[in-house]
Amino acid sequence: MLNAFIDVMRINIHHITVIAILLLILSGCEINQNEIMPEDGFLKIYNHPDEQLALFPESVVELPEGGYIFISAIKDENAETEYPHTSLVRTSKSGEVTWTMDYDWLAPTSKLILQNGSVGFVAMNQQFDAYVISIDPGNGAETAQHALDMTMPLSAYSDEQGNLVVLGYDFVTRSSWISKYNSNFQLQRSNKLPVNTDLEYLVQRHLNKTGQDYPFFIGAYSNTSGSGYFVNCFYNYTLRTVFLDVSSLAATGDIYSFQIEEGISSLIQKSGALFGLTSYYEGNNYIMAGTEIDVLSSGNIKDLPAEPLYELTYRAAVMAGSLITDEDQFALYISQTNDNSLVVYQYDLETDSLVNTLTREFDERVEVRDFIQTSDQGIAVLAGIYTLGKYKRPLLLKMDPGQFVPEED
Amino acid sequence: MRKKIFILLTLLGMVLTGTCHAQQSGFLNQLRIGFGGGVNMAQIVDLEPYNIYEDLSGESYDNSYSDIFQNVGNQYFVQIEWFSKYLIVVLKPGTYTYRFTKHNEIAFTNETVEQDTPYLLRYFSVPLEARYSFDFQRFRPYAGGSVAYSNLLGSLDPSNETFIRSKFTAGAVGGTYIDLRYVILDLNVGYNFGLHNITNKADRYATGSGETFAQDDIMLNDLQINLSILFSLQKQKHYSNVECFY
Repeated sequence: MLNAFIDVMRINIHHITVIAILLLILSGCEINQNEIMPEDGFLKIYNHPDEQLALFPESVVELPEGGYIFISAIKDENAETEYPHTSLVRTSKSGEVTWTMDYDWLAPTSKLILQNGSVGFVAMNQQFDAYVISIDPGNGAETAQHALDMTMPLSAYSDEQGNLVVLGYDFVTRSSWISKYNSNFQLQRSNKLPVNTDLEYLVQRHLNKTGQDYPFFIGAYSNTSGSGYFVNCFYNYTLRTVFLDVSSLAATGDIYSFQIEEGISSLIQKSGALFGLTSYYEGNNYIMAGTEIDVLSSGNIKDLPAEPLYELTYRAAVMAGSLITDEDQFALYISQTNDNSLVVYQYDLETDSLVNTLTREFDERVEVRDFIQTSDQGIAVLAGIYTLGKYKRPLLLKMDPGQFVPEED
Repeated sequence: MRKKIFILLTLLGMVLTGTCHAQQSGFLNQLRIGFGGGVNMAQIVDLEPYNIYEDLSGESYDNSYSDIFQNVGNQYFVQIEWFSKYLIVVLKPGTYTYRFTKHNEIAFTNETVEQDTPYLLRYFSVPLEARYSFDFQRFRPYAGGSVAYSNLLGSLDPSNETFIRSKFTAGAVGGTYIDLRYVILDLNVGYNFGLHNITNKADRYATGSGETFAQDDIMLNDLQINLSILFSLQKQKHYSNVECFY
């Protein structure tokens, strides 16, 4: 009996040896993590020790040499002016702070402009005059400033040709003010869209971060009949998405909603007349992943078939954009949920089908502000977070490209 | 890393060779089997800190870990020994649980917020020890070395995902056998050095809820104190009250 047991053990010992060797090899592979770099994915919260400062992040760019610059509006309880001043933060590839710089320019609400190795932003002075300011990304020093001959800048967009399109508000004529500048920031064309009612107070509260945050944005589209811009702005009593001719900036069509309480929160052109958009109305948020829009006519937002997104916060800010990888193309809609999560809805750009929903949970309330596709085909999301439930601070979340690879069925 | 795996394979080969030899020359007479348990104290070596918080005023935030004597864990294992006159080879497969706490600080002008994140890591480990013993009759002190392979067991705590499954350690052991005629007690103390980073680099930010911290690159060393009860399958030695054989 005992000898039989020993014989069995003697035979099995070879199997055990093989299993042990395989185990060691597999373990070695797991331990060796040299291919995973810190810049592939990270999460950073940029804290300022001064409790009396509230930092409202606005936009982020990735620099050609690596690293990021993001812009924030800083609201100081002790400041003499009610409008927030501007702050830029430069980080390394893995999110560590390289430098920070504060500027006297007020209410920086634009996307950052990356042009010819220089970084620019649009903000205003104390007289509400809009300027574009260029800075040296190496140290943050201001290198140039250009008056934009408009007031109360609300959004800015740099198109593929290097033109700058800026949305402002003219409190004299009570109009949304849209101007286009060339790459040297010389005015090319300007247009005013009458609001027909006085919304200056609401615009002021939007700019000084004390009131409702309206989803002002600018983008570009092109189809068989031409190209143009879409601008989300106040127009004819309501918050509308207005389609503008690329040359004349004349309004060709729009999507309207009920006054200024409802509206489109993000928009992306997919192809031709096909757009993806999100909206909020009647207390809920909605998504239209692929819907046909006639840019030459006026339509009501409620006529578009929409899927509800009950999980998103009230009047949720949504950032829409594309993610182009070597294998696939996706439309991404990034927002925040009622349970303090950042959520990324990943749609296939061709089929409009939801491929993936990615979430990142936080202990405190978060608000997404911007996202970009990074050079490694991942994304960087800029958001605000209420640290310790009290202090508003910027948050940068770099998501690994591997997270966007669709799972095989 | 290749060198470490080579050493492990060499040791494994030595044990298997010894076991085969034992099978041929009275395997059971040189075998002791038992069980044991004890306490451990984890010591965290921070290889590279990864902070979630970046300070915009130029300050830096430091991480720290609880001291070794605050990190009391435990282990339970089966103990299998093969012994010759002086050399003893020991396997102690079992569950080894480690506890430690990470401290983070977030500094503000008028307050500093301290955050503690406790960890509990439960491994299934297979330590392999080689001991050289001295025969002092009833007491047989020994000293030796050990290597161990461990596999992290699952947990409901999401922060468990911030660690890789495998862990290799090597260390030194010392202690004494106490022969109580029908059973043998093994009082054992050992210190094990982690051989590599145990953090899962791809998921260092996947701490479940909480934006409060990211997992640093860390190594886990530990001090162990164990007591085992062993049953020998060979004919028992008999001691008189005056400590002589008959």
